[in-house]
Amino acid sequence: MKKIILIFIYTFFWRNFLRILIGLRYYNNKSLKNIKQFILIANHNSHMDTMAIMSAIPSRFIHRVHPIAARDFFGNNLFQRILMRYLVNATLIRRDREDPNRDPIDDMNKMLSKKRSLILFPEGTRGIPGLMSSFKAGLGYLVQNNPEIDVIPVYLNDVYKTLPKGKKLILPNNCSITFGEPIKFKSFEMADILDTAEKAILKLKNN
Amino acid sequence: MNKIFNSIDLIPEIQWVIAIILIILVFATVLFWIWNKLSPSKLVDEMQIRTRSWWIMCFIFLFASLINPVVTYIALGLLSFFTLREIYSLLNLREMDRSVLFFCYLCIPIQYYLAFKGYYTLFLIFIPVFMFIIIPFLLVLTGETKDIIRSMCILPTSLMLGIFGISHLALLINFPEMNSNGVSGKALLLFLIFITEANDIMQFVWGKIFGKHKILPNVSPNKTWEGFIGGVLSTTLIGYLMGFLTPLNPLQLILISSTIAILGFMGDAILSAVKRDFGVKDMSEAIPGHGGVLDRVDSLSTTASPFFHLIYFIIIM
Repeated sequence: MKKIILIFIYTFFWRNFLRILIGLRYYNNKSLKNIKQFILIANHNSHMDTMAIMSAIPSRFIHRVHPIAARDFFGNNLFQRILMRYLVNATLIRRDREDPNRDPIDDMNKMLSKKRSLILFPEGTRGIPGLMSSFKAGLGYLVQNNPEIDVIPVYLNDVYKTLPKGKKLILPNNCSITFGEPIKFKSFEMADILDTAEKAILKLKNN
Repeated sequence: MNKIFNSIDLIPEIQWVIAIILIILVFATVLFWIWNKLSPSKLVDEMQIRTRSWWIMCFIFLFASLINPVVTYIALGLLSFFTLREIYSLLNLREMDRSVLFFCYLCIPIQYYLAFKGYYTLFLIFIPVFMFIIIPFLLVLTGETKDIIRSMCILPTSLMLGIFGISHLALLINFPEMNSNGVSGKALLLFLIFITEANDIMQFVWGKIFGKHKILPNVSPNKTWEGFIGGVLSTTLIGYLMGFLTPLNPLQLILISSTIAILGFMGDAILSAVKRDFGVKDMSEAIPGHGGVLDRVDSLSTTASPFFHLIYFIIIM
């Protein structure tokens, strides 16, 4: 049931809406088809980013892909939490660490061990438009704990212009989303992982 | 469904044009295919991609323009929409202009509705008169005056370029006074688009083969005197031969076709300069081989409204 709702929302509605009215172009999104489980990492400037990525995911396994969202921002009340769970398929994590025994990384690890895929914005927040800020350590822990899972870089070009931070009006603007090849990490040191991931996304930008 | 197809009444002249378009497309496809087999080069590759895009564009255009007036209006409205979107995507407007952009997009359905209803005067003054005042005032309402003159100039101009010119194509097929004089609006639309696009192609071909003396060296290196003169002459000839679509006499045909050729060149040059200012080669990557939508309809946006008014003048006289 959830799968049908998600396919309807993303594959039919958002994909066509973004392509025809907003002017989003998909590059290389076919490469996702052969990968069973992955962590998508992307630059983040707008709420449209999640919609753009979700709409590009093949409908076959869209119900197994979970965007990671901050509970303190998106899960303030029950209605919002239900909306996020069923319409965005999001996993809400606690950034505030009120409960010291519960690490948000553990939540993500648990999802990965259930054969789920994740969409992660390693910058942590929407940041300055058009600029990529440095990555948070969470991605590093995730890769260290699950080295066998493919990490796929995604670059969102100009998507933020359709809905900039703090604005409510969605406007058309030509933009593009590019999927890269899975990143090959040479070493699993924290700094190296973050550096390699950042470079992979920047490489997509310059293509 | 029947109702939609019943409204297709293809007069013999239009059937002829469809046949001519198909023959040209098949000829071009075969020509470049053989050329590619004999001596493959980058130019031929690009030509093949362009021809493929022409096939798709011709089919969309024929389908949209002949099947039903409502479909034509929606298709032309989308064309305006894509054009505006391309312009605004490149412009780097201020963030507070976003709410005004919404009203700019809103002009598209209004303008096409006016064309659909045939409110001729209102259609003519809506953008150049009303929007010319309303858009700057909306910009003033945003409360930020820094760089406001740039937005004030750009937004009305973009409306003229993207909506006003192209929407005359829509007025052409649905103009009561014209249709009552036994003139087929669809045939005139076909004539205008055929001549304008033929002009683009002819200028390109003449320029590629004989081009030596640059006509606008600082704007576009591809535009040459040879291409321009050859293009105008051959477009006039094509217009003369295609005259069976229009109610005009030979002298009027020659005058109108050469005017379209020159205006088409102007539109092309204007957009070339705009692109040069933006520092891009193409407006977007919407049409493979051609660039953006605006790269294709740039000449139409300058030819459509003069053509309409010339025809109107001649018929009313």
